[in-house]
Amino acid sequence: MATPATVLYSEAETRNFRRVTVIWGITVVLLLPILALLGYFMRLYQSGAFPKVRPEWFYAVLTLHSLGMVGTWFVGSMAGVSYLLLKYTRPSLAISKFSYWGTLLGVVLLIVCTLGGLFGTGWYFLYPLPLMSQGVWQPWATLLFFIALAVLGVCWTIWTLDILRSIAKRYSLSAALGLNYVFGKPGPEVPPLVLITTVSLIVGVAGFVAAVIVIALFAARALGVNVDPLLMKNLTFFFGHILVNITMYLGVAMVYELLPTYAGRSWKTNRVVALAWDAVLFLVLFAYFHHLYMDFAQPVWVQKFGQVCSYGLAVPAGVVSIFGTLALVYAARMRWTFASMLMFLGIMGWGVGGIAAVIDSTVEVNFHFHNTLWVPAHFHTYYLMGAVLIILGFIDHTGKEISGMEEIPWRSKLTVALLLIGGYGFLSMFYWGGAHSVPRRYAIYPAEVAQGTLYARIAVGFISVLLLGILLYLWEAGKRCLKALTA
Amino acid sequence: MIPMRAFYVFLAVAGFLIAMFIYAAWSTRRPRDIDTHSAYSLRKKLLLIVLAVLVIGLALTLAKTPYPRESDIPAQVVFVVGKQFSFGISASPITNDDEYLAATYSTPVEIAAGSLVEFRVTSFDVNHSIGVYSPDNQLVAQTQAMPGYVNRLRVRFTQPGRYRVLCLELCGSGHHRMRGVFDVK
Repeated sequence: MATPATVLYSEAETRNFRRVTVIWGITVVLLLPILALLGYFMRLYQSGAFPKVRPEWFYAVLTLHSLGMVGTWFVGSMAGVSYLLLKYTRPSLAISKFSYWGTLLGVVLLIVCTLGGLFGTGWYFLYPLPLMSQGVWQPWATLLFFIALAVLGVCWTIWTLDILRSIAKRYSLSAALGLNYVFGKPGPEVPPLVLITTVSLIVGVAGFVAAVIVIALFAARALGVNVDPLLMKNLTFFFGHILVNITMYLGVAMVYELLPTYAGRSWKTNRVVALAWDAVLFLVLFAYFHHLYMDFAQPVWVQKFGQVCSYGLAVPAGVVSIFGTLALVYAARMRWTFASMLMFLGIMGWGVGGIAAVIDSTVEVNFHFHNTLWVPAHFHTYYLMGAVLIILGFIDHTGKEISGMEEIPWRSKLTVALLLIGGYGFLSMFYWGGAHSVPRRYAIYPAEVAQGTLYARIAVGFISVLLLGILLYLWEAGKRCLKALTA
Repeated sequence: MIPMRAFYVFLAVAGFLIAMFIYAAWSTRRPRDIDTHSAYSLRKKLLLIVLAVLVIGLALTLAKTPYPRESDIPAQVVFVVGKQFSFGISASPITNDDEYLAATYSTPVEIAAGSLVEFRVTSFDVNHSIGVYSPDNQLVAQTQAMPGYVNRLRVRFTQPGRYRVLCLELCGSGHHRMRGVFDVK
């Protein structure tokens, strides 16, 4: 049963929470162009623009770019749902602040170990690569990397648990999971925001536990204990897959909460929505097997089960939410603003990337696409054109709501156009490259895949347009967020 | 060819989805109330269609995995070891660093066109991955090279010529330089 609304924050406390959310938003918005510039550097490097720069720099920048982006949008989505949950629950402001400072510390440590120490394993640091650098990065850089991960992991786990605690204060587990809807029994009304956040964060806790085990096993290896590389790979991808997925799910949760206010219609939990998200709770735990299809040592039934779960995951989370978005907007008295356009297009990007991901999750196709440019193609689609657009929409929505500053419609439309043209144009080269066997994560393309250099050059042009859109967003939304800080 | 087929399937389905979003956005120019029951009924139909498509997709593809079947007997076995930053490829087992070094410098292994060959792939240090590129530079097969494990990749090459092996798993600063070759005759 839901408890009375007295558990919620007072107006003054809410103002404090708003301020912290705006600070999170400004930080995320500032990190975006910096991290995007790192990506720009990588595509420029692949296009041959820096012949005198050693490839070690490419791999270090790749590591910082990918870790930075994954972390930034995870905290962005967490800050977003925490704020929106204020309507229903009482997440801790102190823990949000603690996570903020912890995240900043973690980011600084990551910058030092990558740009200062050339640590370059990529964001999922497959065992035992961090320990075998061929002298490129020193043991201190590896140590710093794991300290950074530990700091981020502790902060984010505490934050995750606190949000779950705040939900548990008001809703029983079965209510928060919408089981009363599933079984057609009377119970409290549960907003989709609460349902999706609960599902995502329960899964998130499982992911963080896996990350802790990975870090502990790396420490054990440093002490001379033998560690199984296949077990480590499973744990690493389990964690990584979950972190990326829940970032998107939390973004979708924000859309369920906010887009109805622009469409003038309601979007409530019902049996299908509850069933769909409860299915996610199970399916997402096993879909990660598709990252290990090319590890033939895994049992074949596990690989096939991975494909079934990956296909299955597309239905509840994807189809139900995408159909819901279309039905919500169709012929609605829609207020098309910067925020609502970004959220609407974010769901579209999530869907487009999801289609490419489902195709790649077919074992037969993955045999030709695994670790080619098709991989960054699909995850950049649902991340950059999906979760990122949604979170940018949320930040602008919040900045405008608090500051009361109106937007200039033509500038909003121009920014959205630049983001779309630059974003999808840049991604098209990843897709085309993947379909033409170009490997991903290559600093320099050898003769066999020399066409990758041309694709990188074309992508650079589109990234320039994308960066222009990002800077325009920073200017427009930044003004509102800065005013919101003093409101 | 599977990659291009997959690419066009993606374009078609993603194009349909984008068209739906444009249609929904365009419809807001003439706002009106919609019948919720019709929407729910449409959702039910859509869910069933997507489920049917996915089940058909699973039925058509799940059996076509690249994993070795015990019933297939390979005519030839080739041993592959990855080590930062080269591949040793040999017709004889590679069990130590000396054999690995010899394999990296020896003449390319020859494989008979049309016969089933089994690559036994492992690593002496970190995770690598062998990406087998055909003479016309198409990625035709791959498997991971993992320390402590042997992955068995079975392929039947029909196109004669020189095949290159590139690393497809980030393995350090020389990742893009890793190489191996063999010939199909």
